[in-house]
Amino acid sequence: MKPILEIKKLCKNFGGLEALRDITFEINKSEILGLIGPNSAGKTTLFNCVAGIEKPTDGEIIFSNSARSISIGGKKPEAVTALGIARTFQNIRLFDNLTVIDNVKIGRHCRTKSTFFGAVVRNRYQRAEEKAIIESANHFLDFVGLKGRGQEIASSMPYGDQRRLEVARALATEPHLLMLDEPAAGMNPQESRDLMDLIRHIRDKGITILLIEHDMKVVMGVCERVVVINHGEWLAEGEPQDVQNDPKVIEAYLGTGAADAA
Amino acid sequence: MGKVVLQSAYNRSKVALQKTSRGAKIRIGLLILALILPFLPFSTDYILHIAILVLLYMILALGLNIVPGFNGLLDLGYVGFYGIGAYTSGLLTYHFGLSFWVIIPLAFINGAIWGILLGAPTLRLTGDYFAIVTFGFSELVVLFLTNEIWLTRGPLGLPGIDVVSIDLTLFGGPKWEFIGELPYYYLAIVMVLVTVFVMYRIQDSRLGRAWFAIRDDEVAAVSCGINLLVYKVIAFAISAAFGAVGGSFFARWVTFLSPDMFKFWESFLILCMIVLGGMGNIWGVMIGAVVLVSLSEVLREILPLLGMPVNVRFLAFGLIMVLMMRYRPAGMMPIAAVAAQMRAGRVKRKKVKPAVGIKK
Repeated sequence: MKPILEIKKLCKNFGGLEALRDITFEINKSEILGLIGPNSAGKTTLFNCVAGIEKPTDGEIIFSNSARSISIGGKKPEAVTALGIARTFQNIRLFDNLTVIDNVKIGRHCRTKSTFFGAVVRNRYQRAEEKAIIESANHFLDFVGLKGRGQEIASSMPYGDQRRLEVARALATEPHLLMLDEPAAGMNPQESRDLMDLIRHIRDKGITILLIEHDMKVVMGVCERVVVINHGEWLAEGEPQDVQNDPKVIEAYLGTGAADAA
Repeated sequence: MGKVVLQSAYNRSKVALQKTSRGAKIRIGLLILALILPFLPFSTDYILHIAILVLLYMILALGLNIVPGFNGLLDLGYVGFYGIGAYTSGLLTYHFGLSFWVIIPLAFINGAIWGILLGAPTLRLTGDYFAIVTFGFSELVVLFLTNEIWLTRGPLGLPGIDVVSIDLTLFGGPKWEFIGELPYYYLAIVMVLVTVFVMYRIQDSRLGRAWFAIRDDEVAAVSCGINLLVYKVIAFAISAAFGAVGGSFFARWVTFLSPDMFKFWESFLILCMIVLGGMGNIWGVMIGAVVLVSLSEVLREILPLLGMPVNVRFLAFGLIMVLMMRYRPAGMMPIAAVAAQMRAGRVKRKKVKPAVGIKK
């Protein structure tokens, strides 16, 4: 089967700084792929390149949804979302002043159509669409375990629930590929375990997952394959246990000589 | 029999009254008060004039509110669209005798076109830069109105604009001209009601939610598939359209226009109403208009008695703004989320949006 996302020789420079150099890897359909690496390795930059927030300097990103393969390098973020790639953010980005349900409703934006005219006249099409938006928003809240909390204000929710809400909002865009940027950051062990269940649950729905994570328990527990990058370069790739014991990886995390000591 | 019917009607209305929430009761009460205002003993032509001014500024403030209140963009040039609307309406009436009822939809479209013309190239700018461009635009409008004498008669002003009339002569009916303040008062009430209706509908729609998303977090908004530029331009166009409609009403009400009616401080005054009332809150914005217009008129009476020039009232507005920023930055009626936080005793300053946009 064709991989859902192919990253080929991806480069990204910020002025003289090479944030990413010749990164190449693939994500297969319906797998949970972990992307790990020490701080400032370029993980989030890679996310931003795929999501369209950064324009790659060189290289190709090819996304294959059920219908066709498209090169998405340099496409606008809203176009990337419409094609079926959703993401969450390292530091949670919710619409703080809105209710929980409105946050998820906004996720439905790219799958719905009505604008000013529909809003003012509320014709039959707009009413049907609005009803469908509310139904699916409730469905996704239910799915991430926030049932019945739609009327709370997003910013007043506890941290773990905000993470869940961000996932619900991303799911509401009906993605084929979901990219999670450090979803377990700042979570206690119980919350991390719930998160891992949620990630597996999402994958069971047929959604492919790309996960950046520092919490090794989560990476080892949930990922089927792991890609390691360091200083903007591809370092290793394989099953979690193999990668964990790879001397190159240990060296990248702990410094030269650490592999021998281990 | 009749008694029974009356009794059941009474019971039904009682049930209906119990069902309506407190907020709705207050609204209906205020509307009734507004409708009977001209017949209250203390109401004079002067009071009605002020009341119309309040209603006009409600339309303008609600229109402006879309940009800073719903989208989080600072717009310092709103009065430019107000001026364009007023002069376009005035000139069309002066030269072609166009009916007010034809002009209103035209004014809406005209305002929207100007909004798109200004917004499409400039809304890529972020934060303060955008505010400066809008400020420049409103100054440009005033300069144009002052200097293009062949069109606008410049500083002499444009007198003799026809009043609003309902002309049914085409169908063999009478022609009724709006003389005095009373018909304009009711016309203004209808226009405010339509504006509020439109705002409420937008607020609870896909379009409104997209705006709120842009206001709260632009990066998250694009990752939900919202095209920032398109939605900002729509917002700017609709805001400008309401400004132009307000201007058209103004032209046909005072029947005289001059460029100095559209100076920068008008923009500032309307912005003050929004900030004072509560940015993004429809009711707050309307209350802001009531407070500042009435205060302006009261000060106009009081200041000469104290031996001060009338324009000192702008100092008073400035002082109010400073006090509001210090003690209640979210306004008199903040949007729901901020109000909830304040109730929870966790008053935190609204996050200031960084002036850096998304790198493209």
